[in-house]
Amino acid sequence: MQCDRLGETIGAYLDQELDPATRGEVAAHLASCQACTALAEEIRCTSRQVAALGRERAPGRLMADVRERLAGASAAPLVPLRLPPAIHHLPLRRWLGRVAALIVCGLIAAAAVHMMSRMDSTALLERDVLAAHVRSLLQDSPTQVASSEAHTVKPWFAGRLEFAPSVKDLAAEGFPLAGARLDYIGERRVAALVYRRRLHVVNVFVWPAADAADSTPRALTLRGYNLLTWSRGGIAYWAISDLNMAELQRLQALL
Amino acid sequence: MTERAEFERLALPHMDAAYTLAFWLLRSRPDAEDAVQDAYLRAFRAVRNVQGDIRPWLLKIVRNVALRKLSERARTANVIPFDAARSDRLGSERGALQVAADAPSAEDVAVEAGEQAMVRAALAELAPTFREALVLREIEALSYREIAGLTGVPIGTVMSRLARARAELRKVLARMMRRGESDAV
Repeated sequence: MQCDRLGETIGAYLDQELDPATRGEVAAHLASCQACTALAEEIRCTSRQVAALGRERAPGRLMADVRERLAGASAAPLVPLRLPPAIHHLPLRRWLGRVAALIVCGLIAAAAVHMMSRMDSTALLERDVLAAHVRSLLQDSPTQVASSEAHTVKPWFAGRLEFAPSVKDLAAEGFPLAGARLDYIGERRVAALVYRRRLHVVNVFVWPAADAADSTPRALTLRGYNLLTWSRGGIAYWAISDLNMAELQRLQALL
Repeated sequence: MTERAEFERLALPHMDAAYTLAFWLLRSRPDAEDAVQDAYLRAFRAVRNVQGDIRPWLLKIVRNVALRKLSERARTANVIPFDAARSDRLGSERGALQVAADAPSAEDVAVEAGEQAMVRAALAELAPTFREALVLREIEALSYREIAGLTGVPIGTVMSRLARARAELRKVLARMMRRGESDAV
């Protein structure tokens, strides 16, 4: 066997991964070729160096984390529900009792899911409103159409929304209209009216909510921002600002 | 419940092996921890009547999870010019990503001047395929057949990859030694 034909088989020879015939050929060649013997020695040395690194030690907490996740995985799903084997021998009354218990369980679960999803959707809405407000402050301008003229702002929405929000300039009352833009809240396009009060920016988000009854304003504070939400005439309003709540409520009364 | 106990009995002893492969593929300890957690969870869900040594099978899952992470990382790196200064921290001319390499830098090596540190740094520089081949063969001492099954390539490919990986490693080590000497002068 020639050196250039030996190629990658030296490593396999050292790893004892060759079939007996090839192994014999390589051994014979190594016995007669100094260059290949030197190469074999180098390869052996490299192998030892890497082997000497040994395994990395997994951090101690990893074991605990994995066990915890395994416990979580086996506690919850996937385990087939095993009914007691003698269930079809149960007397009718006990059957009925079980069915009733199942129905009650189902109802309770459904109610819980319903409540949770409602809570979730309100919380999500609040988050969307907060995010939209903060995002508007991060932009160069919170408005896409900058105008204090209600007659400029209102037509700007035409064709951009499927409803016409009412737009008022409240400069006389100390809340000059800065303009408006479109935003995206609760998975729909909404109108965002931007008012200013001194250095504060107020975003008023408006969208149609046909099924919502008129409601008095609900006040809340999220991450230091004051929010007011109400609905009137089938329109939902969300006002948000770092303005104090009393002044925000004045604006709400004017809108 | 007993199913979990059985799985833990078989799989948990291989956690260092799993962690080692994940670490050398990802070159980041936090990422390796994530990969091991995901892999164990996957393995547990997939396991049915595994008998004997489950290490190669477990390592295969670890590998899949780690490779997915690597490709996610590569996608992110395409979008964001990601730590450009750090990307050639190990002085690699290879296109391989050098993200968050926990392996010691060339400077660390010079300070520690330990052979092991140098081997670690050299190994970290190799392409993922070569790192993987060396870890599975030299550290895990798996047979070519097991490595072939684990990486999904023919045995012949395992053989040539290993040969190239060892040659590459020798080359990088030689370069580091030369640099170390010229630093010392």
